[in-house]
Amino acid sequence: MSVARLAAGRAVVVVTLTAAALVASAAVALSLGSVDVPVARVLAVLLRRLGAGGEVTVLEDQLVWQLRLPRVMGAIAAGAVLALCGAVLQSLTRNDLADPFLLGVSSGATVGAVTIMVLGIGVGGLVASAAVSVAAFAGALAALAVVLVIASAGGRGLSPHRTVLAGVAVAYLCSAYTSVVVIMHGEGDAARRVLSWTLGSLAGLRWDSTLVLLGAALVALVWFFAYAERLDAFTFGEVSAQSLGVPVTSTRWVLMVGTAVVTATTVAYVGVIGFVGLVVPHLVRPLVGNRHRAVLLASAAGGSLLLMWADTAARSLVDRQEVPVGALTALLGAPVLVWLMARRPRA
Amino acid sequence: MIRRAAMPGLSLAAGAVLLLAGCAGAPEKETATAESGDRFPVELVNCDHEVVVASTPERVVTLNQGATEVVLALGLGDRLVGTAYLDDAISDRWAQEYEQVPVLAAEYPTNEALLEAEPDLVYASYASAFDKGVAGDRTVLAGSGIQSYLSPFGCPDKSQRPAPTFDAVWQELDDVAELLGEPGTSKALVSEQKETLESIRDAAPGQGLTALWYDSGDKTPLVGGGQSGPQLILDAVGAENMFDDIERGWGEGSWEDVLATDPDVIVLADASWSSAEEKRAYLEKDPVLSELTAVKKGAFVTVAYSEATPGVRMVDGAASVASQLADLDLRP
Repeated sequence: MSVARLAAGRAVVVVTLTAAALVASAAVALSLGSVDVPVARVLAVLLRRLGAGGEVTVLEDQLVWQLRLPRVMGAIAAGAVLALCGAVLQSLTRNDLADPFLLGVSSGATVGAVTIMVLGIGVGGLVASAAVSVAAFAGALAALAVVLVIASAGGRGLSPHRTVLAGVAVAYLCSAYTSVVVIMHGEGDAARRVLSWTLGSLAGLRWDSTLVLLGAALVALVWFFAYAERLDAFTFGEVSAQSLGVPVTSTRWVLMVGTAVVTATTVAYVGVIGFVGLVVPHLVRPLVGNRHRAVLLASAAGGSLLLMWADTAARSLVDRQEVPVGALTALLGAPVLVWLMARRPRA
Repeated sequence: MIRRAAMPGLSLAAGAVLLLAGCAGAPEKETATAESGDRFPVELVNCDHEVVVASTPERVVTLNQGATEVVLALGLGDRLVGTAYLDDAISDRWAQEYEQVPVLAAEYPTNEALLEAEPDLVYASYASAFDKGVAGDRTVLAGSGIQSYLSPFGCPDKSQRPAPTFDAVWQELDDVAELLGEPGTSKALVSEQKETLESIRDAAPGQGLTALWYDSGDKTPLVGGGQSGPQLILDAVGAENMFDDIERGWGEGSWEDVLATDPDVIVLADASWSSAEEKRAYLEKDPVLSELTAVKKGAFVTVAYSEATPGVRMVDGAASVASQLADLDLRP
């Protein structure tokens, strides 16, 4: 009992510290950009917008409140969603390599995005970037549906093994489509646009998109948190979960579809950002233990922190040039993964 | 101008005869003994490749829109036996002549489709035209009697590319006119372009204005930088390019900088993959960018993508930007 309490205490400390780091570093992130805005002015803008009064220039407000804050909040929300989904899927499939894109979401979304970007098919009255989001979301859901149909065919439930394989098959199919379209129909900078979309980017997020992302993060957090105890049961395997009274099949369906839908929402706005969902859960488990309430909270906070900093680096490392954020999360994530593998035998 | 309508028919017949003659060694290339005069042979070094044209090229294939338009602009469209790969559309000026020329492929033709046109000269804008699957290596082509010219702006070795200037464009026109045995054609065209440019510079309808050259992209804009067509055109009309410190023709700009500068006028590049209309709609719809002075005033200028890349149409681009600026009447 005392071990559990110790772990719980540590979890509270870790989550609190991460959250504090998040708030503090958000202020710094808001002051960084191609136009200089000192942290004091950032705070002035935020305070004025929150009703505390004070004087700021129109430009300062535009830069901080309308351009940078939606982007920073978007990174926080997307990071949380990806890490939460990664944590859930890793437990659910008992597969260390599971990430939020396990069920073909990213490849399906890419099919949708490429169809708009390269073939230039319009979606009734939407501007191009909104049409890409809509198509990516639709593509992700379509891929998910195909994966689920393949995986559950034959009435054998949704076994993790079959689901992973179905995801791989659909991903290959989608990438075949993507390559053919880009090579045969790509004009101008099409290949570059597709590549940059598949590496993900938080550039250009405005409040309307960010509010959706924040909503998705909140839904994911509350929803998955409610399943925390069932996920604990899954850690010991399907049979023990069953013997503990967990409805295995329905839980699996709900969580797989749930993670895929919130991931698809995220991907629709920010593209495919890898490694956050894969690495963050592995990173927090040694710190907070294996109970899912702690793992989920810490993953959400850790994912937010990682993506916010990766994105801040993405937009400020090179003057006036966005470094693909997916490349940066991989750059940070890959060594961490290697390190985790190296210490594994001792664990 | 003598139309060579009989040529394809003749060579087809010749090919049929050769076929009927059965297997033999590689057939000798017909050596044109036509009136070469003293203009030939023409020799010049182009992208480190020696071009030797022994007699008047009568069967020219152009790859890429820029090359096609140069030949049409020189009034030598009747030499073209094939063309391929448009970026957008041939300028209305030459649309009629262009329609007479067989299009070998929408993009690059295969090697076989190219050889089928039996060119004696292949002229391209980009080095990719001489990739393996397309025209193939220039030395190999020369070995089989096909000469080639590559726009110096497209040299594979970047160090051999000229700085993008109007003079460099005119140099290419001179080269091509000389290779085709009609040096007079480029002299006339170049002096006409020089005059147009001079009058634009004198009028300077962009004097005192800061411009954003918005090429494409929405999340981060791809903008005209300080080293190529956009800068040359803005210089010609006397406007200041807000991103002239980007040391490339085009580069990524930042919306933050655009907000901070609040440019007087926005030039929208019109390309098939990113239309001016689309970009204007984006600017007007975005909650932040719609607050820009130029967007509120509707101070937009549109220019076709192919009039903004270094080439024979760049002067037209400058003229079009100049007249639109004059209409907007934004000068302080």
